[in-house]
Amino acid sequence: MNDDVTETEPAEPEINDPEKPSNERFRIMVCIDGSEESYRGLKYAAKIGQAQETDIVLCYVRPIDQGLNTDGMNMSIARGNMLEWGIELPGIKYLKQGRDLLLASGYMGDDWDEEAFHTDIAGSSTGDNKIEYTSASGKKIVLKLKVARDVASGILDQWELGHYDLIIIGASSNWASSNTFKNFFDPAIAEKIAIHAPCSVLVARELETGHGHLICTDGSEAANFAVKKDAYIASHCQCPITLMSVALDVESEEAARKTVADAKAMLNDMGVEVKETFIRTGDPVTEIIESGPDYSLIVMADSGKTGLERFFGGSVALKVIQNAYNSVMIVR
Amino acid sequence: MSPSSVRKRAAKLAKPIAALKQRGSYIYFWEKRWFFIALAVGFGMLSMPLPDGLSQQAMSILTMSVVATILFVTEPVPLPTVALLIIIGQVMIMGIDSKIVARSLMSDSVLFIMGSLMLAVAVVKQKLDTRIAWLLVKMTGTKTSRIAFGISLVSGVLASFVGEHTVAAMMLPVGITLIQLTSDDPRKVRNLAAVLLFSISYGCSIAGIGTPSGGARNAIMIGYWKEFFYDPSNPDTFKYLVDYLKWMMYAYPMFLLQVPFVTLILLITFRPEYRDLSRAVVKLRAKVEKLGPMKSADWVAIFIFFLVLLGWIFLSAGYGMGTIAILGAAAFLVAGLVDWPDVNSGVNWGVVLLYAAAISMGIQMKDTGAAAWVAENFLAMLSPVGLDKGIGLWAAVSVLTTGVTNTMSNGAAVAVLGPIVLNLATAAGESPIVIGFITAVSSAFAYLTVVGTPACTIVYASGYLKTTDFLTVGWKMAVMSTIIMLAAAAVYWPMLGA
Repeated sequence: MNDDVTETEPAEPEINDPEKPSNERFRIMVCIDGSEESYRGLKYAAKIGQAQETDIVLCYVRPIDQGLNTDGMNMSIARGNMLEWGIELPGIKYLKQGRDLLLASGYMGDDWDEEAFHTDIAGSSTGDNKIEYTSASGKKIVLKLKVARDVASGILDQWELGHYDLIIIGASSNWASSNTFKNFFDPAIAEKIAIHAPCSVLVARELETGHGHLICTDGSEAANFAVKKDAYIASHCQCPITLMSVALDVESEEAARKTVADAKAMLNDMGVEVKETFIRTGDPVTEIIESGPDYSLIVMADSGKTGLERFFGGSVALKVIQNAYNSVMIVR
Repeated sequence: MSPSSVRKRAAKLAKPIAALKQRGSYIYFWEKRWFFIALAVGFGMLSMPLPDGLSQQAMSILTMSVVATILFVTEPVPLPTVALLIIIGQVMIMGIDSKIVARSLMSDSVLFIMGSLMLAVAVVKQKLDTRIAWLLVKMTGTKTSRIAFGISLVSGVLASFVGEHTVAAMMLPVGITLIQLTSDDPRKVRNLAAVLLFSISYGCSIAGIGTPSGGARNAIMIGYWKEFFYDPSNPDTFKYLVDYLKWMMYAYPMFLLQVPFVTLILLITFRPEYRDLSRAVVKLRAKVEKLGPMKSADWVAIFIFFLVLLGWIFLSAGYGMGTIAILGAAAFLVAGLVDWPDVNSGVNWGVVLLYAAAISMGIQMKDTGAAAWVAENFLAMLSPVGLDKGIGLWAAVSVLTTGVTNTMSNGAAVAVLGPIVLNLATAAGESPIVIGFITAVSSAFAYLTVVGTPACTIVYASGYLKTTDFLTVGWKMAVMSTIIMLAAAAVYWPMLGA
């Protein structure tokens, strides 16, 4: 079908593709869908980026124009007609709004270099477009308008191109499937990204800066990794760190206490200050989401279950994402 | 960049990439899960003992229909794949000779769908949209409500002849331009945008029922009538040959009647921020005047299309509507008004294949008796609640079609439901013409979802509308249209001798 993105699309990376990592910079992709949530995510990215060498990529994914729902006349005809009238593609406005927000906050200066790129995508009359801004010191901000089969795979494809360290996406997305009926059996896009992305994912929900990170640990290797990695991020944005652990029952409270103490010691060795530690007893999912709202975000490790286990049981991390009242970050 | 930093980066990325690859196969099965679920349902149905009154062949085609419907709705594979699977199933599961299957794929209806699509591309490529916009604004003035009504009426009248997708594609830039010229900030013109854009899409959708060329579904229903009921040796069955003019007599008044209601519903639901669009209209006028007077090529294009229309009305009984459509497409190509590469990339040939296979499957549903069996059982279900005849049955068929069509493309909905509802009409002693019209017309009532009608899909691509907007206003449209259609079925159609 001429409407599908060809499978080989990301296989041929452009030489010197500026989206490719060129050094040890911290790379954040913020998924912009025009919602208030996505701009809050962007502000948060700017806060993390303020202190360290960070590239921020603002990405809007436009589902590829389908021909089958238009009774056989390809959407490209309608799209081509719109472009001839000089009408912008949807999403450009949202991305520019994001850029203006960074300009207004002072994160980005007026004097940054600007460069535009275009990639053709099979079956799309418009392809991928992006504008890249570079500061004198080499900081980058990229506005990317991407075309993909569906939004989730577009975001994941974008990861393949850029190998980001962190993806920020709003929990309730404007991008809900265009087919209302399908929403019943298709998980939300943010959840899909949180499951499939190979890097850390921040699912933003009422994201506010300044209340610190709540890091949940169960003492496992994955959790230790998450603690260290988030401590690195948090220390850069001067966010206070709180450690918590959940004991399943009263007998294991002692173990939980030891877990947080170990984690705190580990962070102190790294030279990172821990504001407070506490433990709770009960069901991990409930305890975590109940403790969450006092902080900017809940930080958890991906418990690393396989797909089938997720399908039947669901990991604690996934359940927290689904049910939390505030933002959740899964660290990988 | 230094080699050491690249190496460091590569080492850092090795683990996530390996994890991604390992996930690859899992993602494949997850994304395709509905395909495997559909296959499992198929195997389950085929291994069940045969229900009473159903032959093995009938059970096979029924199974294929169910599997195809699941695939139509969930789309785990590209839709034309379903067409290929239907053909494979007919030969390999049902054991029909491949020559017969191949022959059943092409018919006048399929030619008509193909020809109309080529014509649609040719018409959009003529760039007549600015002229239409200008004419429209000249007629309506600058009041928002009048412009909305004008857009619905003009889009509708054009769409009824050249197809709703064509007109939606032509009018969308006009609508967006009017919105953008009114205000740069989309948030300040949200309601105005909804009114103008829905005026286009609903104007086109309600008109799609007006003539056979309004949409593929109409051609599919005409094909079914002929295939199921027409018998050259029996003059009584000649009424089942529905031509262009006859279809218009049944359906066109319904379209005209709905136009004012569309504007009314839209204005009440989304109260537009601006009551007058004179600023935008003045700017639009300046834009159009730059183009200069109509060129001779514009007139030739209009002339050819007019001839095609006359051909459909007066010659389709003898030559077939498909032949006329293809003649028109050929004329546009010969006149050099459109290039073949444009036609080739503008028409989604997969859809043609899909409708060909769906119609072929529908005919076998009827031939094997599977459609009659489903119809009888459905009727038995309806009779305890008194919906097995008259207006109750009509409403039931309409609700069924509206429900199905909101989940898949309306052409596919008619192709799948057609054989069943036409058998339903026979079993209930109702006129297959009335029931057929109700199905074809109700399939245009997919106002609730973006994918329901072609015009909605195109208008949604502007990025101005949310999926929830379709729900907010769509149900009112569906209720209005259903009432008007049932009234037509009860009062108007009997006058035409249905």
